[in-house]
Amino acid sequence: MLAKRIKPMALQARRLYVETMFQVMGRALQAVSEVDRSVQEEARALPDGFLFEMTVMPNGPKLVVEHQGDGRFQYLTSEPPRPVDLSIQFKHIAHAFLVVSFQEKTSVAFANDRMLVDGDIDRAIRMTRILNRLEAFILPKLIAERAVKEYPQSLGLPEKVLSAARIYLKVATHFVETARAS
Amino acid sequence: MSQHYYEFFCPVKVVAGKAALEHIPYELSGLSASRPMVITDKGVRGAGLLDPVIEACEEGGQEIVTIFDDVPPDSSKEVVRQIASAYREAKCDSIIAIGGGSPIDTAKAVNILVSEGGDDIAAYAGAGVLKRPLRPFFVVPTTAGTGSEVTAVAVIADTEKSVKLPFTSSFLLPNAAIIDPRMTLTLPPHVTAMTAMDAMTHATEAFTCLAKNPLSDAHATAAVRKISTNLPRVMENPKDSDARLELAQASTMAGIAFSNSMVGMVHSLGHATGAICHLPHGLCMSLFLPYVLEYNLEAIREPLGELLLYMAGPDVYATTPTSRRAETCIAAIRKLRDQLWQYCELPRTLQETGKVSEDQLEAIAHSALDDGTIMFNPKETSIEDIRNVLRRAWG
Repeated sequence: MLAKRIKPMALQARRLYVETMFQVMGRALQAVSEVDRSVQEEARALPDGFLFEMTVMPNGPKLVVEHQGDGRFQYLTSEPPRPVDLSIQFKHIAHAFLVVSFQEKTSVAFANDRMLVDGDIDRAIRMTRILNRLEAFILPKLIAERAVKEYPQSLGLPEKVLSAARIYLKVATHFVETARAS
Repeated sequence: MSQHYYEFFCPVKVVAGKAALEHIPYELSGLSASRPMVITDKGVRGAGLLDPVIEACEEGGQEIVTIFDDVPPDSSKEVVRQIASAYREAKCDSIIAIGGGSPIDTAKAVNILVSEGGDDIAAYAGAGVLKRPLRPFFVVPTTAGTGSEVTAVAVIADTEKSVKLPFTSSFLLPNAAIIDPRMTLTLPPHVTAMTAMDAMTHATEAFTCLAKNPLSDAHATAAVRKISTNLPRVMENPKDSDARLELAQASTMAGIAFSNSMVGMVHSLGHATGAICHLPHGLCMSLFLPYVLEYNLEAIREPLGELLLYMAGPDVYATTPTSRRAETCIAAIRKLRDQLWQYCELPRTLQETGKVSEDQLEAIAHSALDDGTIMFNPKETSIEDIRNVLRRAWG
């Protein structure tokens, strides 16, 4: 009886967790593109105005970022102004949860057919590299190793801590600005 | 609880062996098709490979309504439109593709247009656009390597926009793949070697990359055993039809394996080198395979060691210590490549091809890094890693 009552709450909590993580990741993508040169270099290859979406099928949570040019992303808090150029779609909220709770690496989720790519596959690979770089920065090494295929050996502790602090500060500021605006 | 999960799908009926072509009329009638169009290329017709198919059909009371034999090596939107128009004019109701990768991919695209309607194949590009089965479609491969007869993808060039259009749908899979030893019996030694190494790479990468699964493993190991045993036999005696059939089946099995578990960095490098230096795909696979396995070694030591049983046989496997099996497997691949060099001078390094210049390596590296297959490589790959592999493969 108790289990029956708890289950819907657990599912609701899972959905809420994915939604929250998408909001954090979207803002963190914007922040890391302002902080890290490697990410900027990767992003510069994308056309200006390029819209990237990560979403859950059929109408689940989503994050959308736009390449503003010069390697900078902007997280969009409202509906995108035009159809997105690249969409990575999780087939189910459970699959998105596995990835954003770092139980399954992004590359393994691709290999396990947890998600679909709608758009140019070259750009999906590039965006995955950017997401990996972001995760290596903002997650403690032990957790980041569960999220990415291989933790970058070249990423030293001072660079990681400094960049992570700047990214988190920018994410927090963005959350506050969004709250004030609404 | 294990997080492992996989998907496996192959609804293609495999019709393989002696007199397989003679099953085409029956298989067509089973799908209520009676007016097939043949799609092929000049090379296939020139090699006389259309004749046994036409004979088998006519003898079985099955008329071939029309034949399009001018598929170019890199098929385009325009060619697809032209063939679809010929199909409609002749009131055909099914397609038989005869050839290697290009005629098969072209026929898949033609089948989309004649089933779904319209003249612009670009409208159907992408993944999951098709929602229903297409017209009856058979494939008769004339090379033993691509595995296109069991893959759910096709690539067609849009020459106006200078881009390649990918099509992905399970509905692209043919209803049947007809594997007949007569169709590969006259394949020149050089092409036989390249295409067989393509299949070997499909199987090896399927068995060692991230999306490997028990069902693709079974197909991959069987394919490796067949290729390592029968490729030298065919190179020694090209008219050995039993060994030819084994290679053709291995190619199909490797195709089933990799289409369900994807491939890795050998393909990333191969796609990039093929596009920039215009080297045949199978040759690129043969070139890069040992170097990429060496690069991935520590991430794939266990499966690669297991693969030695199929690559070199039970005696070598049993006498090799577990800790050395992966290295011995790579050595067995190198030995096979050396044999192919002896038989037909199949290049083993980029330098030996004589068609790649050192200043192209940087462009190859950047293109390979963005290739979709890099995602499934077991090791995370940086641009510097790719440069290192290319330097080793240079020779």
